[in-house]
Amino acid sequence: MENKIAVKVDDLTVAYNYKPVLWDIDLEIPEGVLMAIVGPNGAGKSTLIKSILGILKPIAGSVSIYDEPYEKQRQLVAYVPQKGSVDWDFPTTALDVVMMGTYGSLGWIKRPGQKEKKEALEALEKVGMLPFKNRQISQLSGGQQQRIFLARALVQNASIYFMDEPFQGVDASTEIAIINILKALRKAGKTVIVVHHDLQTVPEYFDWVTFLNVKKIATGPVKDIFNDDNLTKTYGINYKVSIQE
Amino acid sequence: MSSAQLEIQLIASLVAIACAIPGTFLVLRKMAMISDAISHSILPGIVIGFFITQDLNSPLLILLAAVTGIITVILVEYIQKTGLVKEDTAIGLVFPALFSIGVIMIAKNANDVHLDVDAVLLGELAFAPFDRLIISGVDVGPKSLWIIGTILLITIGLLFAFFKELKVSTFDTGLAASLGFSPVAIHYGLMTVSSVTTVGAFDAVGAILVVALMIAPAATSYLLTNELKRMLIYAICFGVFSAISGYWVAHWLDASIAGSITTMLGFLFLAVYLFAPNKGVIAVLYLERQQRTEVSLLTFLLHLKNHTEERERHVNHLNEHINWQKVRSKTVLDLAHKNNMIQLDKNIVSLTEKGEDFTSQAIDYIITNQDSKIEHMKDDFFLFRG
Ligand SMILES: Nc1ncnc2c1ncn2[C@@H]1O[C@H](COP(=O)(O)OP(=O)(O)OP(=O)(O)O)[C@@H](O)[C@H]1O
Ligand SMILES: [Mg+2]
Repeated sequence: MENKIAVKVDDLTVAYNYKPVLWDIDLEIPEGVLMAIVGPNGAGKSTLIKSILGILKPIAGSVSIYDEPYEKQRQLVAYVPQKGSVDWDFPTTALDVVMMGTYGSLGWIKRPGQKEKKEALEALEKVGMLPFKNRQISQLSGGQQQRIFLARALVQNASIYFMDEPFQGVDASTEIAIINILKALRKAGKTVIVVHHDLQTVPEYFDWVTFLNVKKIATGPVKDIFNDDNLTKTYGINYKVSIQE
Repeated sequence: MSSAQLEIQLIASLVAIACAIPGTFLVLRKMAMISDAISHSILPGIVIGFFITQDLNSPLLILLAAVTGIITVILVEYIQKTGLVKEDTAIGLVFPALFSIGVIMIAKNANDVHLDVDAVLLGELAFAPFDRLIISGVDVGPKSLWIIGTILLITIGLLFAFFKELKVSTFDTGLAASLGFSPVAIHYGLMTVSSVTTVGAFDAVGAILVVALMIAPAATSYLLTNELKRMLIYAICFGVFSAISGYWVAHWLDASIAGSITTMLGFLFLAVYLFAPNKGVIAVLYLERQQRTEVSLLTFLLHLKNHTEERERHVNHLNEHINWQKVRSKTVLDLAHKNNMIQLDKNIVSLTEKGEDFTSQAIDYIITNQDSKIEHMKDDFFLFRG
């Protein structure tokens, strides 16, 4: 069914202060999958996403998005950073943060206008955050902040979505709301890549999975490779997970 | 008011605006210290530029000093990247070194010229009007007015052009980078503007006032607003207000102008810190007290809702049962009464319909933690204002 490769990573090695945290990663992500990246804390999951998006410069290897370098394909890609990576006391409102998602298509210097505002409001509506549009972002709960980030990615109207722990600190109902949006994206033919920590829900939410711990352990369809063997290789201890078919 | 007085106030105000703009972003990026570093470490740049041009207002000198400012930032980042020390330590290592190089160069070579460390650090606004710019025989005003005016125009131009880029890269570096707005370029752009502003202003107002004008107005307005544009505007207003009022305080007390302006900045910050409507100390204390009362109210209402027995709802019993002091019980009782949540019948307290309603909604909220359920209650009660 999937034939096109959306994201291709070749021999990627990334280091902070000369200490490699990702080693020789090869990865192909087919178009239209909803993929989980799993691995323990400090495995390099965030680093992998940042390197794909050109936020970090790798010391070796290359990345392509639909066979072109990332720089040429920015418009096709949306990004939800890990929630803790920004200052939530920044003087700005929920609506304004979502508007930032439109900055990419505007390019340098051009300012967002009515059209961008309308798109942002629609995205807020989709994640159920319209009543909070004028709230200062520090006055939102953790789950609401996560929804704002999701709305900002939706506004980017991309083909490929990278999300770093979108379920971090959200309650069950928000988690369901978010996963439903992600599934809707996949249905619309988008590729969605999610850093995920809750192993129990992997088979239920995702159809593709990558195991990562400094090196790539395995990548492929959940039903084929989500097993104790790979979990043990990734987490280093014996894991028992029941896989529902 | 003489024209010299007017010129001094104009120069001070323009410096204040030129400093408040980069200052706002420095404060938001938690880089306040870097402006201090720049303001000191540009000294060797100024000295070298002065040796070459023999003119404190030459554009070359400004350029050289700005380059020294950028070198400072690069050095700080380089030391920090080794991972051996934190940013503040790196700053503390770099700028005294550069500053003392400048001091030594002055001591060795510039003994007889108008360039001394005091002048650089403190500046003297009172003298600014005497140094005139003469173009083909015509006096067009004080030199420093032209220098800082030009810098300010460029700063405003850059701010309007790159406001959205500055905002996104300050709030979320990762997103900015992924969207293709190079955070590195924006970072060094901001550093360049900060350096050039510092250099352009130091001759007139001195390095210390430059730092104060960059940081204090922004820090003050940060306490007052939740919106970046407003934060910028307030910071500019605070800067200009301090500049002008500081000038007049100095005039009346016959004191240093730079010193008075810095003092005004301090007072303004203190006043806002105490009295700001939401983040101010007094507002926070008041809010906490209010919240405590409302938590008590809720506890009290819950007690009434849970107990149908009259014995439990007798006024005298409530006092000992909930175990509050008399004063507190009375405040709570009054509050509930005022809001029509309870009724008293022969010293037996019971919930009204409104009270029942309010209590169930509140319980609902506490259990589900869903904000949307209590959106409409927020106007009445502090407790639910997040
Ligand atoms: N800015 C940095 N400087 C130095 N080391 C870093 C930096 N960021 C991350 N690291 C290190 O790189 C390694 C990988 O970090 P990364 O954030 O990619 O992990 P992760 O898999 O996303 O972890 P988590 O599940 O905790 O988010 C960790 O050992 C971390 O300590
Ligand atoms: Mg991470």
